[in-house]
Amino acid sequence: MLVSVTEDMRMSKPSDLVQGTLDMLLLKILALEPKNGFAVSQRLKQVSGDVLQVSDGSLYPALHKLEQEGWITAEWKTSEYGRRAKYYSLTRLGRRQLEKEAHNWGRLSSAISRVIKRKEA
Amino acid sequence: MRPEHWLYTIPLRLRSLFRWGQADQELDDELRDHLERKTEEYVAQGMAPEEARRRARLDLGGIEQTKERCRDARRVNWIQDFLQDLHVGLRMLRKSPGFTAVAIITLALGIGANTAIFSIVNAVLLRPLPFPEPDRLVRIAFNEPGLGLRDVPFSVPELEDLRNRAGVFNDVSTIASASENLTGAGHPERLEFMVTHPNYFSMLGATPQIGRLFGPQDLALGFAPVAVISDGLWRRSYSADPNVIGRIVRLDNDPYTIVGVLPPGFRHPGPTVSGNVEVFQTAGFSGDPAPPPARGTRFMPAAIGRLKPGLTLEQAQARLTAMAIEIRQDYATDYPEQAQWTIEIQPLQEALVGNVRPMLLVLLGAVILIVFIVSLNIANLLLARASGRQQEMAVRSALGASGSRMIRQMLTESMLLSVIGGAAGVLATVGTLGLIQRLVPSNIPRLNEVRISWTVLAFALTISVLTGLAFGLAPALHSAKTALSSAIREGARGSGFGNKTGRLRDALIVSELAFAVVLMVGAGLLLRTLRDLLQENPGFNPTQVVAANLSLPEPNDPKMDPYLSVAQQTTFDRELLRRMRSIPGIQLAAITSHLPTSDLRLSDAQAINALAIEDRPVESSLDLRAERIRISADYFKVMQAPLLRGRFFTEGDEDGKQPVVIIDETTARKYWPTRDPLGRRVRFGADLTKPPMTVVGIVKDIKNDGLDIDGIPHIYVPVYQSPARDLSIVLRTSLQAKVLEPQIRHEIQSIDPGLPAFNVSSMNDVVGRSLATRRFSADLVGGFAGLALLLASIGIYGLLAYTVGQRAREIGVRMALGARRWDVLKLILGKGVVLAGVGIVVGVIFSAATASLMASLLYGVHPHDLLVFLAVPLLLFAVAVLASYLPARRAAKVDPIVALREA
Repeated sequence: MLVSVTEDMRMSKPSDLVQGTLDMLLLKILALEPKNGFAVSQRLKQVSGDVLQVSDGSLYPALHKLEQEGWITAEWKTSEYGRRAKYYSLTRLGRRQLEKEAHNWGRLSSAISRVIKRKEA
Repeated sequence: MRPEHWLYTIPLRLRSLFRWGQADQELDDELRDHLERKTEEYVAQGMAPEEARRRARLDLGGIEQTKERCRDARRVNWIQDFLQDLHVGLRMLRKSPGFTAVAIITLALGIGANTAIFSIVNAVLLRPLPFPEPDRLVRIAFNEPGLGLRDVPFSVPELEDLRNRAGVFNDVSTIASASENLTGAGHPERLEFMVTHPNYFSMLGATPQIGRLFGPQDLALGFAPVAVISDGLWRRSYSADPNVIGRIVRLDNDPYTIVGVLPPGFRHPGPTVSGNVEVFQTAGFSGDPAPPPARGTRFMPAAIGRLKPGLTLEQAQARLTAMAIEIRQDYATDYPEQAQWTIEIQPLQEALVGNVRPMLLVLLGAVILIVFIVSLNIANLLLARASGRQQEMAVRSALGASGSRMIRQMLTESMLLSVIGGAAGVLATVGTLGLIQRLVPSNIPRLNEVRISWTVLAFALTISVLTGLAFGLAPALHSAKTALSSAIREGARGSGFGNKTGRLRDALIVSELAFAVVLMVGAGLLLRTLRDLLQENPGFNPTQVVAANLSLPEPNDPKMDPYLSVAQQTTFDRELLRRMRSIPGIQLAAITSHLPTSDLRLSDAQAINALAIEDRPVESSLDLRAERIRISADYFKVMQAPLLRGRFFTEGDEDGKQPVVIIDETTARKYWPTRDPLGRRVRFGADLTKPPMTVVGIVKDIKNDGLDIDGIPHIYVPVYQSPARDLSIVLRTSLQAKVLEPQIRHEIQSIDPGLPAFNVSSMNDVVGRSLATRRFSADLVGGFAGLALLLASIGIYGLLAYTVGQRAREIGVRMALGARRWDVLKLILGKGVVLAGVGIVVGVIFSAATASLMASLLYGVHPHDLLVFLAVPLLLFAVAVLASYLPARRAAKVDPIVALREA
């Protein structure tokens, strides 16, 4: 996504993602195994099949926010390429948060799909 | 948040705060790692390395902006930002020392003035009285609304009613203050004393410094032989001797045993005769020297009480009003129907400070206006400066600063200014508090409690922060809005802000001028009142008159009284006058019981005596009252007060001869509107056994009770026929009071070594002192108004000078196209005139709407005084035109060629 220097910052947020959903996706991706930022961005693209356009510019602030919330924790490790990289992993708090958000999301999406289907009928 | 949460987050926050550099380095590393791998990925997809790097960067958005957003995710980033803003702010202030100095000096003045005035307002008006449960303490007044009299004296049975019948008080005590001669401790001294009931101190919750205060053991019919002294007297006359307890002190010749010393902070909560009460005595007011108790024998001047807990003021008042009606019915003979005698209570604090409240509030209003004006002025300067910083702001935003971040930056700068200015102001106030307290007229109560307390500091901080916000917000919002987009492109060529800023600046100037008008109108009204009072004819000529006070002792024991009889007093008075006249340089000497404009009275009703006029029915005589003043023969000659008709007193008007009086014009007009008063006979009091007194002369009115008090009838009686113990000597002389003082004292004490002479001063000083409060407030508000005028002219000058600078090119074009210098001058001057006009009109309307709030401080001047309302706008307009002319002339001198080339 192209962000011009003169445009408002808010433009670079994924406008089509429900607020808070990005957090949940990131938690989910990190739930499997610790990853560094780059791997998270690749994984995000991979699992969402390019539907969810999350720019790299939004990813890092989001990761930092989750870290500050105490949901994920970071540590510097040597990556498989032999470079030092920052690896994020889920904390116990993060796991609980993921469960909560996934549960909420399930309720919300099923409710929405019920509404949508009824309209079509 | 749960504790478990904090377990994770607190170390993180601390780390972001204190290992900021490391956290930032890690952020750098993380993003660089990301970019490298992204680039590698694009290269692997077959892109050229250069292109791949570019794409990776674009994916990340603005790198600096992303970094800034990551930093924002750390919750403590604002502290970091704040420190950075502070740093930048300080640098900006250092870069423009002229602006900084003007801003800080005006702020220091504004906030310092606010702090000083507030410290007084806080101590006098806001802080509760320094006694336990002060809101239950009340001042009890007995009024006769039917006769228009407030605070009439009361009798012992009436006091007993308050105690036993009313059921609303825990405690009631009479308070009677006067002054008396202290002997037996160093040289004779005149000091203020107060007689109370024994429960006075326990009611106030006072505790002694040493010894004891009054208690039930001091109950007596007359005076108990004990005294409690103030800390001040203890230190002054007894060198803080801890063994002072048990010493005998002679007060008006009567011996009293000192039983206790009050703590330094104790002040009697009420108006006093001349200053702090130094000696407390206790009495039952029911036996010698007091007359036997009777309902109609009213001689006690005032009372305070403590309400029962849980009772509101309204409930207590309702009960007392009902009780007064019952009492009037029960003892109809003692309460004439038309007097409508009633009892009123008022919170003690209100009673204490009520009369200075309007003045203090006006002063507070004035300093708050000053802070407004200072803020508006700085806001204007900041707006002008902000235009020069447009480019800086644009660069910052390009580098990732968000809008709110830039507002914070600007606000930090203005806060920095206001806090530095505020600190300077508070420091200046602390440094000059002693001086300020000396300038404040001493008749303002509770001045000893004025100090820079935490409350005052909190107020100063609040004012500083609010002013910082006030003058910082407009420029800050503005910069943030305009900084983006256009600024970088227009850059240095910028034509300044558009119309919007122009209008904002115009509005600021207009409000500044309007506030200045309000302040100047207020000052004008006060100064005009003062000037009128100074020019007021007091009815006498105070120049070349020296006055001194002395009081003959009035012992409770008649055997101790050398001045018991009229003859004894007359002998003293004659000897006094003879000795005064013998001092070289004294032309004339006289005695009076009431020195004009020196207000020694405690309440109107007590100084004004009931009067009976012969050949008038007794029923209609209830509202006949006049102030009785005892004088010696030459009094009117010393004071150079003109006789209208009849004769002055002579040395022959003495006891045993025909009793005579001289009345003033007000008395003549009031009581003999259609007839000739000369030869008529009057009588003071209801005692018909006393011989009536014949009116022998009429003098012009003398402003006895203060230059601003009119309409009180005065009746002068010869001091040899009606002696007085509290005397003032007036001497007509060309010598200075200071030169005469030792001689006066020597002569008095060679008659009676126990007599102190006090308050020796010129009559002009006496008159001047009576205006001290007015002078203080008028001078202060006048000074603030001058400052407001200066600031407003700086403001309008700054605005126009800035406009001229910004529009130099336009002006050049105009002139190149044929505009004459006069047109340009008119253009700029016109703007100034319009701004000043609008500001002044708004200010005048606002002043007109609020001026009546000051009515109680004015005398002889209408709140909408035409002269003030004309002079202030004219003065301000003239100054505004002058302030506009300077930049306008500069504009007219613009060389079109230079302007166009430079622009």
